[in-house]
Amino acid sequence: MTQEEETLIMPGAWNLPFRHTAGRFTSRFFRELRDNRKIYGVRCPQCRRVLLPPSSFCEQCFTPCQEWVEVGPLGTVEAFTICYVPFLGLPPPPIAPIMVKLDGADTSLGHLLGEVDVSDPGKARDAIKMGMRVEPVWRDERRGEIGDIQYFRPVG
Amino acid sequence: MPRRVAIVGIGQTRHEESKDHWVYWENDYEAAKAALADAALKRTDIDTVIVSGWDAIDGRTLSDMHTSMAAGGYLKDSTHVGDDAIIALAYGYMRIASGLFDTCLAAGHGHREASVEAVTRIVFDPLFARPVARNHTITQAMQANAYLHKFGVSEEQAARVVVKNRQNGTRNPYAHLRQAVSVEDVLASSPVAYPLKALDCPPESVGGVAIILAAEEVVRRITDRPVWIRGIGWAIESYELGNRDLAQMPSVAAAAQQAYRMAGITRPLEEFDLAEVHEATSFHELMAYEALRFAGAGQGGKLMDEGVTEMGGRLPVNPSGGALSTHLFGATGLVRVAEAALQLRHEAHGRQVAGARLALAHGLSAPAGAAAPTNCVVVLERG
Amino acid sequence: MGRRVAIVGVGLTKCSSHRKDVTYPELIYEAVSGALAQAGVTPKDVGAVVFGSMDPFDGVFAPERWNVEACAGAGFANKPFIKITTGGTTGGSVALGGYYHVASGMYDVVLTVASQRVGESVEAQLVLNTGVDPIYERWMGIGAITLVANQAVHHFHHYGTTEEDLALVAAKNYANALNNPYAHLQRHLTAEDALRSRMIAWPLHLSDCCPSSDGACAVVFASEERARRLTDTPVWVRGAGQITDNYWIGERPWYHDWDSLAMLARRVYKQAKIVDPLAELDVAELYNAFTINEIIQCEALGFCDKGKGPELIRKGVTAMGGNLPICPSGGVLCSNPIGASGLIRVGEAALQVMGKADQRQVPGVKTALAHVWGAALGFHVLMILGKEAP
Repeated sequence: MTQEEETLIMPGAWNLPFRHTAGRFTSRFFRELRDNRKIYGVRCPQCRRVLLPPSSFCEQCFTPCQEWVEVGPLGTVEAFTICYVPFLGLPPPPIAPIMVKLDGADTSLGHLLGEVDVSDPGKARDAIKMGMRVEPVWRDERRGEIGDIQYFRPVG
Repeated sequence: MPRRVAIVGIGQTRHEESKDHWVYWENDYEAAKAALADAALKRTDIDTVIVSGWDAIDGRTLSDMHTSMAAGGYLKDSTHVGDDAIIALAYGYMRIASGLFDTCLAAGHGHREASVEAVTRIVFDPLFARPVARNHTITQAMQANAYLHKFGVSEEQAARVVVKNRQNGTRNPYAHLRQAVSVEDVLASSPVAYPLKALDCPPESVGGVAIILAAEEVVRRITDRPVWIRGIGWAIESYELGNRDLAQMPSVAAAAQQAYRMAGITRPLEEFDLAEVHEATSFHELMAYEALRFAGAGQGGKLMDEGVTEMGGRLPVNPSGGALSTHLFGATGLVRVAEAALQLRHEAHGRQVAGARLALAHGLSAPAGAAAPTNCVVVLERG
Repeated sequence: MGRRVAIVGVGLTKCSSHRKDVTYPELIYEAVSGALAQAGVTPKDVGAVVFGSMDPFDGVFAPERWNVEACAGAGFANKPFIKITTGGTTGGSVALGGYYHVASGMYDVVLTVASQRVGESVEAQLVLNTGVDPIYERWMGIGAITLVANQAVHHFHHYGTTEEDLALVAAKNYANALNNPYAHLQRHLTAEDALRSRMIAWPLHLSDCCPSSDGACAVVFASEERARRLTDTPVWVRGAGQITDNYWIGERPWYHDWDSLAMLARRVYKQAKIVDPLAELDVAELYNAFTINEIIQCEALGFCDKGKGPELIRKGVTAMGGNLPICPSGGVLCSNPIGASGLIRVGEAALQVMGKADQRQVPGVKTALAHVWGAALGFHVLMILGKEAP
């Protein structure tokens, strides 16, 4: 390539710091995780569904919610995948993202499955099954965030 | 009776692995230029320009300051949708249907300047989703897995979608990937996120696409080969993945219902001559067959097995090669419209479905994968 | 002209530097429920949604995804929804989107929503710097303030405008904001206070610059038939449009005059059959993110000749009680949730026509103008609203 033909590539990155509000509902949810190792949903006064993560309103009834309901700690795996590729910004593979419906909740919570060997793709789908029962594993030092539940693990 | 709208100009660049000699908005420029040439129109003939895509993908906030210029929007009533370019077409359709504009150019581009996974990760909320490893591929994988599990669809059936589309891509001069692959190739390709393997996922391609729309009163002055929009619909799905059945794509069904109703379509499998479907993954094409009512719930794999959607089958799907052959992140939906329109003009050289008169084009706008994707369905008819 | 379209409901949120009491969807819900309540419609009545925000301020890219349910309600998911984003003009472009959705004949009731959570950003100018071309310019550390400061320098040079003129604009807007319970900055500010405030980028003092705000706005557009059934005070869209100028400021010959806005004004005044804006408009909500913007906007919008903008503020023409009050809400100068600010201009103008602007109401409003600018001083949106159908 001659100097006339050379095309340049300019590097770039956005390094933008943020501070995110959890709002009063999520703050209470996170405080219960941190201080009491309890998981709460909120119940919609109209449709009576228990929503998790808790929201100050039910999106289906478009009504404010106020009633806090303790759920879990056990739950059922409703969806999952096992990730083998190192994605930017995610933990190194293999990881098993899941959706878990905690007992008493009407919606599933997104989280990760741990203490399961998923390193062999050929064997992994025997290790995780839809409908599996799981329980939360708590961090010893909790900070008031979803990561206070370190992951869920199979029960029994 | 609403004002009818037709496609009068189609522009696509060749889609490639890279175009380092272009700054990214040149993809919009070259496609817009090609569409104008195709319609034998000048920039000044266009009343409104609508560009598309995502700033974080382009690496510039207000990316439309550049892309609207590149697509011909200088000093025009121009705007930008933070969605796939097929939504630019949907918005342009409305602007013309209102009677306030006669012509519109919609454009989109794809490039490889960003880390799509890093950007889609930050579409997820920072409180609950981001800390537990979410990006567009992860959620699409969970959806594919839910579908596979619910209906007993096999990875082989999904692999056959890849074989079909990649084979079709070999005959498309615009396509990025133009080599065929086998079922064995797909199953042996490296695991990405179960059940997706590398070849189940679209590539990242660089290119541009543009479509010019016109109101019926001016169409005949511009072209003698219009492609009419007989029906159009779009819908967004819910964000909360834990709140719904992941094995379905209800926003595709809702968009199709709106488009079919407008167009008077009641038996899509019989009435369409072809469909260009924006398959997020191989599994998602099977799911789309069901949502678009080509097949019943859980029957998408069977339709594939029976060869219905192959070239030469009763309803060829993705004769262009689909997203699995060319994927402009942010414009693949509009490429589907372009390809379907070329088919209806009988200009889809090498990949033509003989005698095509009625086509479906489907596009997906999904910065968060399976969470709150927007789906758009267009029913097109040869003029 | 096309199908007649009216605004039938407006919802606003209190703007502040950081709404710590809510998550993003909860903030949206506040604005949306207010608009739906005022319009007297339920989520089921809404045919389509248009959402706008200026990514990436909020720290969540494409925040409309997270906010789908909040815009929605009963069974809304799986209904039509598009995202429009055009920088500072986003709120205006969203209003246009709502208007064209209804004007197309496809939808009878359309919800438009615009939001911003600048408070989630640790440094807003850093975010604005990501709008600057990374190949030629980003290293210069340009943001909105330096760009507008340049505009002020040009206007001072060409027309003899002074810092005192800017201070008068600031004092007027701050006084108006005291009557607006939704405004972010609510404090007493005299012209002397303004001149004493910290210099940010010459000649702009702190009080010449907008704050960084969290806030959201929702506006409901309806077809003529639905509007007349829903309300006694439909606010009719009489003219609307957007203009896009190029990015490279060095290519523009009209830096201090903002001719792109004048061009757009000619187009939209023609639609609305306005010949003498100063006489025919009763109120204007302009996008005065910086005090100098308001002065140049008056000129470009034809309220006065070029260079004569300062006379309007000096003579009190644009104060409450003047011939053409500008920004009874306090404007963008007192509240700037960037992506929402344009829709707030439309919402505030609509409330004026409805007669529902409470303490900040201008008496007897028949015709109102809403203006929005964004990008590198390059995008503008105008919407003219009136009590009488076009």
